[in-house]
Amino acid sequence: MRARRRTKSEMTFAQAAEAHLDDVYGYLAWFTGDRAAAEDLAGETFERALRLWHRFDPRRGSARTWLCQVARTVALDHFRSERRRTRREQLAAVPERFEERFAEGLAPDLQAALTVLTAGEREVVALRVVLDLDAPTAASILGISPTNCTTRLNRALKKLQEALDVAA
Amino acid sequence: MSQRDLAAELRAARLTAPAEVRERVRRIAAADETVRPRRFTWRRALVVALPAAAAIAAAVVLTHPSSQPTAVHGEIAPAPQAADRARSTLQKSSGGAGAARLAPLSAPNRVQQVEATLSLRVPSADGVSSAMQRALRIARSYGGYPVYVDAGSQQKRASADLTLKVPRTHLREAMTRLSALGTITAEHLDVQDLTAGINESDRAIARLQRALAGLRAQEQTVAVKRRIAQLTATVARLQRQRAATIRNAHFATVSVHLATPEQVLTHHKVQHGPLHFLGTALMWLGIGAVYVIVLGTPVVLVALLVWLGVRTVRRRREDALLSQP
Repeated sequence: MRARRRTKSEMTFAQAAEAHLDDVYGYLAWFTGDRAAAEDLAGETFERALRLWHRFDPRRGSARTWLCQVARTVALDHFRSERRRTRREQLAAVPERFEERFAEGLAPDLQAALTVLTAGEREVVALRVVLDLDAPTAASILGISPTNCTTRLNRALKKLQEALDVAA
Repeated sequence: MSQRDLAAELRAARLTAPAEVRERVRRIAAADETVRPRRFTWRRALVVALPAAAAIAAAVVLTHPSSQPTAVHGEIAPAPQAADRARSTLQKSSGGAGAARLAPLSAPNRVQQVEATLSLRVPSADGVSSAMQRALRIARSYGGYPVYVDAGSQQKRASADLTLKVPRTHLREAMTRLSALGTITAEHLDVQDLTAGINESDRAIARLQRALAGLRAQEQTVAVKRRIAQLTATVARLQRQRAATIRNAHFATVSVHLATPEQVLTHHKVQHGPLHFLGTALMWLGIGAVYVIVLGTPVVLVALLVWLGVRTVRRRREDALLSQP
C-alpha cells in the first residue's frame, strides 16, 4: 500500500494523461475507424479515467494499459449506441467512417485494405502493432488469453495481406 | 508485402492527438486537484467490519450462559448422578456444616437395605488421614467394619474413600459422628424395604413344608421320594436366601469421601481456566466455519455459474458487435 501510494504520488493523473494521450487517441481512432469519433471518445475516456483514478493500481499494470482499458469500455459503449442508432435510422454508417484518411502517412492501397478489417481486428492491430504492446498486456485489455490475442493478430494481418494482394 | 513490412508501415503511421483534444484533456486533468478520492470504499469498510463482527461474535460466545461454569467457585456441587438419585430417595441435603441433616429411618421391626453416602471437606492432608482413622474407629465402635479403604495424597492435596458396614440400628449415631469429621459437602441416603420379600419367602416356605408333610404321609414310592427331595432342597435354598438377606440388612453400607479443599479449587481451575474460554471460542468458530462451508458452497457455486454465464454472453455480444467493419 505504501509503495502504491508512493508510485501514484510520483505519477499524477495529469502526467499520465499527458504521457499517454496519443496512445489512447490512436487506439480509439484505429478501433472505431473514425477520427472525429476518436476525438470525442478520447475526451470521454479521460473524464471517466479521472473519476476512476483512485482505483488505478500500478502493481497490476501500467497507466497506459489501464487507460486503454478505460478507452475500450468507452469505445464499446460508443459501438452499442451506434448500432442502436443505425438500426433506428436504417443507415449503414460503416462506409462513411473510412471516407477520410485513416492515418497520416499510410499508402493508399493499405488505407483501402484496412476497410476490410472488422472493428475487433483493427483493435488487435492497434494494440499489438501500432501501440506495440506485448501479447499478455494486449490480452489483458481485450479480456482474452495471450494465445487468443496472437491468433487474432495473425488472422487480421493475413486478411490485410490478402486484401493488399487483391488490390495489387 | 510481408507481415513484418506491413507491421512496420502500420507502426510508422502512428496518430497523434489533435491540439484541441490535448487541450480538452489538460482541462480535465486540471480538475484532478479539486477531486478528492473517496474516503469510503468497500475494502476499507470490510477492514473495519470484519474485525468488529469477529469481536461481537466472540463477546456473544463468551457471555453465552452455556459457557459459564456450572459450579459456584469454592464450593463443590453434587455429582449429577447423585443429585438425580437424591431426588428419588427419601431425604437429601447438600452442603452445610455440622451434623448430617439426613435422618436415617429407624425401623427395627422391618428388614431394610440402607446405603448412605457422605462427602466431607477436611482442612488439611493430615486432617484427611486423621479423619479416616477416626471413621474406622467409629464403625468398629458400633460393631461395624470397613470393606473398602482408598487414600491418597499429593503435595497439599489429599483424599480418601471408605466404604463401611455399620449396624443399621446404630446408623443414626454413626452418621452423626461421621459428619462431625469435616464439613459436609454432599450426602445421600437410599433405603430399600425388603420386608415384603421376606414375608413372601416365608409364605413360600410354609407352603412347601405343608406339601412336604402331605407327601411324607403318602406311600413312599420312588416318584414320591424324588418329589420330597426336590421340595426339601427348594425349602433349604429359600431359607438360606432369607437368612442371607436378613444378615445383610443388619448392616447399613456407608460410603465416606474425605477431601481437602485445595483439590476442589484445583479441579475448578483445570476446567474453567483462561484457556477454557479460548477453547470454547475456537469451538464456536469451528461450528461457524462448518455452517459457512455447508451453506456457502452451493451459493458460491451458483454465483460462479452465473458469473461464467454472464461473461460468456457478454463476450459473445462483444464479438458480434466488433465483427463488423
